[in-house]
Amino acid sequence: MIEKVIHINDTKKLVGLLPAVRYTQPKYLYIAMGNARCPDAELYIKEGDHVNSCQLIGMRHAAFFDQPIHATCSGTFVGLEKHYHRSGKLTDFIKIENDFQDTLDTTNLKMRTQEEIDALTKDDMVQILKDCASVGLGGSSFPTYVKFQTDKPINMILVNGIECEPYITADHRLMLEYPYRVMDAIKYTMKAFNCKHAKICIKSKYTDIKRVYKQVLKEYEGSGIELCSVGNYYPQGWEVEMIKNATGIRLKPGELPSNRGIINFNASTMVGIYKAVKYNMPVIKRFITVTGDGINYPKNFRVRVGTSIKDLIPMCGGYKDPEKEKVFILGGPMMGASVPSDDCIITKTVTSVIVLNKTEYKEEPCIRCGSCVLSCPVHLEPVQIMNAVKTLDKPRIKMLNPLKCIECGLCSYTCTSKIPLTDYIRKAKIIAKL
Amino acid sequence: MNIVKETSPHLRRSATVTRMMVDVLIALAPTLIFSFIVYPLQTLITYLLSVVIMVSSEFVFVGLKNMMPKDGLKHSFKERFAYAYKGKYNQNNILPPAISAIIFTLIMPAGAPIYAVIVGAFVGIVIGKLVFGGLGSNIFNPAALGMIVAKVCFGSQFNSDVSTWYYSIPDAAAGATPLGLINGGAFANYGAYSIGDMFFGRIPGTLGEVYKVTILLGMIYLLMRKSADFRIVFSYLGTFIFLTLLGGLAVYGLNKDVNPFMFALYNLLSGGVLFGATFMLTDPVTAPINSPSRILYGMIAAVITVFIRFFAALPEGVGFSILIANMIGVALDHYEWSNPRYTWKNILAMALVVVVSGSITYLVIRFGGVYNG
Repeated sequence: MIEKVIHINDTKKLVGLLPAVRYTQPKYLYIAMGNARCPDAELYIKEGDHVNSCQLIGMRHAAFFDQPIHATCSGTFVGLEKHYHRSGKLTDFIKIENDFQDTLDTTNLKMRTQEEIDALTKDDMVQILKDCASVGLGGSSFPTYVKFQTDKPINMILVNGIECEPYITADHRLMLEYPYRVMDAIKYTMKAFNCKHAKICIKSKYTDIKRVYKQVLKEYEGSGIELCSVGNYYPQGWEVEMIKNATGIRLKPGELPSNRGIINFNASTMVGIYKAVKYNMPVIKRFITVTGDGINYPKNFRVRVGTSIKDLIPMCGGYKDPEKEKVFILGGPMMGASVPSDDCIITKTVTSVIVLNKTEYKEEPCIRCGSCVLSCPVHLEPVQIMNAVKTLDKPRIKMLNPLKCIECGLCSYTCTSKIPLTDYIRKAKIIAKL
Repeated sequence: MNIVKETSPHLRRSATVTRMMVDVLIALAPTLIFSFIVYPLQTLITYLLSVVIMVSSEFVFVGLKNMMPKDGLKHSFKERFAYAYKGKYNQNNILPPAISAIIFTLIMPAGAPIYAVIVGAFVGIVIGKLVFGGLGSNIFNPAALGMIVAKVCFGSQFNSDVSTWYYSIPDAAAGATPLGLINGGAFANYGAYSIGDMFFGRIPGTLGEVYKVTILLGMIYLLMRKSADFRIVFSYLGTFIFLTLLGGLAVYGLNKDVNPFMFALYNLLSGGVLFGATFMLTDPVTAPINSPSRILYGMIAAVITVFIRFFAALPEGVGFSILIANMIGVALDHYEWSNPRYTWKNILAMALVVVVSGSITYLVIRFGGVYNG
């Protein structure tokens, strides 16, 4: 109907409050050679070599930065195998046969005492995060150390625990199960930036997280960390919307939050920072949600990075209605990428695996109801962009400014005629860039 | 098990175009039923004729649009028929013409001859919609266009003696519609029909526009279901009430017997203002797509309605104003100035429309010599 749609049918109750199942010792683990940001990689080990958990086994190269590759379990390097990466491409994966000993690599890891951590400067933090290959674990895989390199004065740290996409509950579990790690990481980050305020942003309907953090915050009295309830809508987790609701500051399109003295991290990135600072340890485990209407018993998991999704599906009772066509999504159902096979690997930035029964939507002519225009969080006019793309009118496309689009998918979601507007805007972006 | 790839987003909401059209049908139903009770024969004939003409025109149009290209081979009629219609003829080719037919029936004056109905329905659907490319492409509201064509071509041949069991025309009115009475600046005649009679439709006029109770029910339903944009409805009605109130004040300055508020209410309840605001202006296809443009669109339609009623030779201006506003709506959507946000520019445009039209209404009635008793 003709309305601003910001609430997406809440499918999080599929998993509900189930605790995360620990599945940390699979037979084989697979670690991606390249990824979307760093396509090339070199290996430091040979076939048959024994590796320790957290050992540096290679280096990914990109134009501006390198990213170390760490083994996530101890075992033997078997060889390279092709599997589907989160980006939907077939990629080489380093296959490690688990020896179930979980011997830690002693050269890299070291436990830092509280005094050592207190003595760390921002430049030390940058180096630590660079060595530990810490990236944005909410799905962006943006290198965390780049955020730490800013020269601007920072006076507010925002922790994004909103997880506004439907279906996913991985961050929710993480916030509930590791509140102390999140809090400590915020303390380290505040120290590094020398800033006085931090806010943990959560959806206002998450009363369980609120109760946990209210209790935990008592132990961190005077640290300047607060809990901040923001809206329950989509896309609340987008940084511009989150900053607007948490601090009242409206960022201009394309403006970096650090310009306004704000820096924001995902909650799971915070846990990554905690591990890196405290133990010099890369991210080797993460929370993941396996859900969707194509799965019998949706569940949360805590798995090692590199686990094959094929191992997880039987633990969820297998596929529901196997005769139906399925869509396999890594990431959220609104922005996540669909992969053509279930033979894919959980990398650091995969937050969820969603298996949906394929629904065919019949595209009908646009009746110009305007729901897409009303719903667009960046105030674009998707229907006008679609018409401009259909006529390949380049000046018109440029004028309509499709590059502002964040691809949240609300226009397609809300369309009463079931037109894939987001696809048209992707095309418009390509045309506008020409 | 088969895994397929698709682009994000992978979810869609449940609202569909069909559901929106069914909502409009539901909202129209009480008015249609009431019209059928008051004028059984006329409503039945007009409705059946217009539905048959509009739906069959759309059927022929689908066949022509999807005609099999000439490839030098001979194809049987069955093959060509299947090529043109299979998967291409669906509820979207039946429901919208049916809705147009209902609206057309309800806005036709009681006493319109059959040939006027036939010509109006045909012109409305073909020139008003199909020549532009069918659903979603039309500029004009097909029903309004059909009604205007029928009225302009055959207006003098309409039967004015249309009293039924439901009402009898008071002597003071002598068969004239409420707006016919005050046409030509005779604003003081506005008291011939009581407000209660006008509210319950006990007046001569069109088949369906006169029953305000059922129209208001339909309006409430559509607004609750959000199948009509409230911005258009409220900006149209608000501007209309504002301007008629100003007109009433101007008339009050000339004739102290006129109560400006009753004058505005009389104008609101006469003619097709409520019906047009609920069912015709809110047709999303012919309205602009941005919310500020929609507000401006409703305001412009109201200004044109009031100007036609007060200053033009025609007693009623809703049909014309809707067609003119449809054209302006297209212009408002032009990409160089369309903006979904409320900027100072479009707020200034709205303020200008209110100020300019308000001062014209007041000054022309008060000092322009329009009022003639």
